Amino acid sequence: MTADAFLFWFLALVTIGGGSLVILMRNPIYSALALVFTMCGVSALFVTLGAYFVAGVQLIVYAGAVMVLFVMVLMLFDLKHEIEAFAKGQISGAIKILSGGLLAGIVGGAILASTKLSSPTDAAGAAVVDPSKALGYKLFTQHIFAFEALGVLLLVIAVGAVALARSKGGTHGQR
Amino acid sequence: MGRDIFEISINGVKLLLIFFMMVQAVPILVWLERRGSAFIQNRFGPNRVGPLGLLQLLADAVKFLTKEDFAPDKAVRKLFYAAPVFALIPAAIAYAAIPMSVPFTFPAFEFQGTTWGPYELKAQGYEIGVGIVFILGVASLAAYTILMAGWGSGSKFSLLGALRASAQVISYELAMGLSIVGIIMMYGTFNLTDMIQAQQGPFQFSAFGYTIASEWLPNWGIFYQPVAFVLFFSAAFAESNRLPFDLAEGEAELVAGFHTEYGGFKMLMFFIGEYGHMMIAAGLATTFFFGGYGIPWVSTQEMHQIIMGMGFSEVGAQGLNALVHFLSYNIKFAIFLWIFIHVRWTLPRFRYDQLMDLGWKTMLPWALANTVATALVIYFVSI
Amino acid sequence: MSEIPLGGILFLVVFIALFGTALIFLARAIGGQRDNNSSVKRDIYECGIPGQEKKESKISVKFYLTAILFILFDIEIIFMYPWAISFKDFIASGLGTPVLISMGIFIAIFVYGLWWEVKSKALEWD
Repeated sequence: MTADAFLFWFLALVTIGGGSLVILMRNPIYSALALVFTMCGVSALFVTLGAYFVAGVQLIVYAGAVMVLFVMVLMLFDLKHEIEAFAKGQISGAIKILSGGLLAGIVGGAILASTKLSSPTDAAGAAVVDPSKALGYKLFTQHIFAFEALGVLLLVIAVGAVALARSKGGTHGQR
Repeated sequence: MGRDIFEISINGVKLLLIFFMMVQAVPILVWLERRGSAFIQNRFGPNRVGPLGLLQLLADAVKFLTKEDFAPDKAVRKLFYAAPVFALIPAAIAYAAIPMSVPFTFPAFEFQGTTWGPYELKAQGYEIGVGIVFILGVASLAAYTILMAGWGSGSKFSLLGALRASAQVISYELAMGLSIVGIIMMYGTFNLTDMIQAQQGPFQFSAFGYTIASEWLPNWGIFYQPVAFVLFFSAAFAESNRLPFDLAEGEAELVAGFHTEYGGFKMLMFFIGEYGHMMIAAGLATTFFFGGYGIPWVSTQEMHQIIMGMGFSEVGAQGLNALVHFLSYNIKFAIFLWIFIHVRWTLPRFRYDQLMDLGWKTMLPWALANTVATALVIYFVSI
Repeated sequence: MSEIPLGGILFLVVFIALFGTALIFLARAIGGQRDNNSSVKRDIYECGIPGQEKKESKISVKFYLTAILFILFDIEIIFMYPWAISFKDFIASGLGTPVLISMGIFIAIFVYGLWWEVKSKALEWD
């Protein structure tokens, strides 16, 4: 087994293991931390695919910002009810089996569908140019509208988050 | 990690060396901190154990090892014990990506019948093409140490301290990330080694067809981006929870914040992580703004020629070149670490709302202004 | 030039995790146990006052807001990175002006978001 193959299988195991820990753990905070682990695994898999900048961004934004939000918010709550409800409950057991089956179906379908995709033909060409610069070039020439729309979208999210936090008298606590 | 077993083993040993270097720098830094703070406060520091008190940290480490190791009753044991171990990981991984000297080319040699080819040993754990993006990403994982420690302690006060500390850390990550954009624009690369190579020689740049050069200034980043340096360095203080931003562990407020319930060796591991982040900040500041391992006014090639002119062989000249540049890096690195320590014992602590206001309302707009100004200057100077 | 050596990083992560775990086990082994009958020792620290922690106090929602605004501005900063790295190339290839203007619009939206957030006092810590 070559080093690349070993690395891929190891990372795939780590990522899928982390993902399954997310749904199997009872305590939501453990689930969130397992999701962080999964995100780091996905970032490493991006590296094996040659998308180095995206891997770094995945670490900065997903594992370093979004998951911090999840973990911080989960710590604001008292989670004993959630832990009990998750451990017992037959409905939750049924949902687990159902979603597991759904996921298996999606994954199987994706594997079957992807064998029809052509192999990447421009890989040889892209290896010469620095991928990050190529990304910047594409972003500003082909996808400029999406780029600006993203800025507006982020602004809308900011306004919405503040409004949501304020709607129940949030930001000034209880005096 | 390498093409054959020799290179892999060399690289593995190099990685371990860098990690242990980071761990062993902590006793030296703590000694420096205690003696330095004593000097600033006009008293003696530790001066009993060993000459000049140098063995004090060894005694402290042994003392910490012999302390009882327990977790509070209400603690979540898995997170409680995982947090100090996790504290070491982001700091070490990010520090291994910082270049500390010129690469050293090992010529081919014969051993046991096979030719082990020429190797190039880089003076860093691994070279990352997207250097700064990777370092920022890994350093942002430090927030999880704080959160795991705060929640794992099972105490509401630790949790509050952890939430405040992590809110502070993420707020200053913004300023740190944005202040770098000017430097990236100027050098056009994420790779740290390329940035250092671009800062060689005397100060010169071309504007409107003229070349502005100055023989008595080195070509360092700080002369091009002074505002970015101030912002980056200040944000780095907040990232490693150092005074004046150390409210999260400030004694008057929440006892010791998120690491109240930790004692003994686990506490030491948190401090290894904190000093590790300090070292990353010092290393990045020298790389971006002070030419990294370069010697001022002399490029690496010229230095190599000078050493060759002294009559060394090729391999010896390469080794000496790498050593001289490593020394140059360490001098700048030590100066920054001393600045960290000096500032800690000079400035009073910020209040928490002052701290957050500074991060969001002052540093972020200034970093944006710096980015816009740099972009405009680059645009107009080239046009 | 652009590769990330994953093998080295993973090796270092695994080594540090094992090293840290070994250190903790070492500390537990050498430390020993004292005074196991005292339940006060295992209580959390509250400046010496035993057991007055109330469980029902709420934690401010400002942590949530700080984290969300951090995500948003972090994404915007991440979008500046490809621009920063290819800006000089754009200028050299003649596309400097449209790229500068489009990035200027993006930064203007960013500044407006920041200004609105400051004005609406969403992050006032009192």
